[in-house]
Amino acid sequence: MSPDEEARLIAAARSGDSRAFAALVGAHRQAVRGFLRRFTGHWADADDIAQEAFVTAWRKLSRFEGRSTFRSWVSGIGFRIARDARRAHGRSTVRDTAWADHQDGGEATAPLEDRIALEAAMADLPDEQRAAVAMCLGEGFSHSEAAGILNLPLGTVKSHVARGRERLLRALETTDG
Amino acid sequence: MDNEARLMRAMAAASPPSVDPGFMIAVMEAAERQRFRAETAHRLLRVAGMAAAAAALAAPFWGWAAANAEALQNGILMAGGLLALVAFTRVMTQRATAALHG
Repeated sequence: MSPDEEARLIAAARSGDSRAFAALVGAHRQAVRGFLRRFTGHWADADDIAQEAFVTAWRKLSRFEGRSTFRSWVSGIGFRIARDARRAHGRSTVRDTAWADHQDGGEATAPLEDRIALEAAMADLPDEQRAAVAMCLGEGFSHSEAAGILNLPLGTVKSHVARGRERLLRALETTDG
Repeated sequence: MDNEARLMRAMAAASPPSVDPGFMIAVMEAAERQRFRAETAHRLLRVAGMAAAAAALAAPFWGWAAANAEALQNGILMAGGLLALVAFTRVMTQRATAALHG
């Protein structure tokens, strides 16, 4: 979606046009859901959080100043909801339920042991590092986009992505694919 | 396959399906529910505000009306008579105009 088209849809959605908002959701749902699935490690929870993030965006659309893309803004809302939920419920549930997600498959093409190793390694990363990795390596967000979402300096995000990637690669090495 | 490729494939496994109308429907339903709730709350607040303003304006009037019931009655009758006279004059003017130009 071009920036002009996105700006037009945002303006229409602001004035209450739900079809324009549906078009925005349709254009960005995969990126937001993909990021949240990798960040939380739990697909069903991530989809619920993504839904909540989009509904929050709809409610607060008048406050969107256009300093970032709509995708970044909604991802930031989703990140804060997911982080707060994680703090409230603790990290243990991620690993307890991870198997269920692998059972229902999704668009799985990677070997199961690699996916499990990756998920375990992701769960071990600190929150901000995991978020940076999920955005930049998982969904192709730029480093500066991730820096804006996470409210971190650009250098810190680059470092998070590089270190996180190294740790994930090491985790895959130990699974001996 | 090298580890970099394995990492990217394992990452891609968490991608949501490209076609998923259920998610869209859930989001739009929740958004519409949210809007309905906000609009209802807004409307209720407006009605409550107007009712409170009307009550605040009426309160001193009731005290005055009780003390001046006779004057109020005369005033209402006089206003009614004045309105009737204005209405009658308008009707007669219209008829006279129609008769002169017809």
